[in-house]
Amino acid sequence: MSYIVIDESKCKSCYLCINACPKKLIKAKEKPNNFGEYTAEFKDDKKECIACAKCALVCPDIAITKVVKE
Amino acid sequence: MQTIFETPKTIKENSRFSFCPGCDHGVAIKLVAQVLDELGLQENTILVASSGCSVNLYDYLELDCIEAPHGRACAVATGIKRAHKVQGKEKFVFTYQGDGDFASIGLGESLHSALRGENITAICINNTNFGMTGGQMGPTSVLGQITSTSPQGRNKETHGFPIKTAEHIALCDGTSFSARVALFDVKNILKAKNAIKKAFEYQKQGLGFSFVEILASCPTNWRLSPLESHNKIENELTKTYPLGIFKDIKND
Repeated sequence: MSYIVIDESKCKSCYLCINACPKKLIKAKEKPNNFGEYTAEFKDDKKECIACAKCALVCPDIAITKVVKE
Repeated sequence: MQTIFETPKTIKENSRFSFCPGCDHGVAIKLVAQVLDELGLQENTILVASSGCSVNLYDYLELDCIEAPHGRACAVATGIKRAHKVQGKEKFVFTYQGDGDFASIGLGESLHSALRGENITAICINNTNFGMTGGQMGPTSVLGQITSTSPQGRNKETHGFPIKTAEHIALCDGTSFSARVALFDVKNILKAKNAIKKAFEYQKQGLGFSFVEILASCPTNWRLSPLESHNKIENELTKTYPLGIFKDIKND
């Protein structure tokens, strides 16, 4: 199962990763974090992630710290 | 299990960028860090940071850094490179500047470094305004662009035409590599990484001044969302600033 790791403390909610994901697996959270930002969240219930790392490449804050392929 | 991507080693641990949400500076810094990792240059590199949004770069990169006076990064880099050469040490020296630093206040220093063929690399982030001080009009603002000091839009009669830095640097005989890249989608980010890698390799081979201009978004001062600013770069800015490689000493 491929997955990504999002560091919430670094995410600034620009949502560029949401637009970059070809499988639309990243969404904005429903609850804000300590900075009051609705940060990005990775949800992959059907195990669709292909570990293309496009989200990590476009993230300007390196909040996506890891992409693992299996 | 295979790690496709992880935070580059050259980025300091637990550093949080101070840029606005969606700013392309972060992507550019990430690409620089990745290329330094891949070429194994981290231990031997001296970074010359500049004034502007790139001013606190030493907080994010695990490198030896020096802060240059506004616009004088290429002059400082020249001194560092030459002083080490006299002592028989070969250091990798690069500057990271904004367009207000490289092409406005420091145009003389930058252009003459290229004309002297200094063996350094300059990376210029072009976001078409003075981003840090509140989005004033810079020499790179395109015609008709509304900024805080040109509320009617940039006018060619009173303000003149925007400067095309990469083309100007390409005209200098001392330049080994000059390219303009953008960061608005994945394909262009990968192209930008290749251009930065080539520029760094040319310095390693001692071919002369190498330069990469990166078209970057400034969502806060353009008053657009991060995605809208990427669309603006793709559809509007690339008409004034065409992307491509303008000089490559190995292909000419």
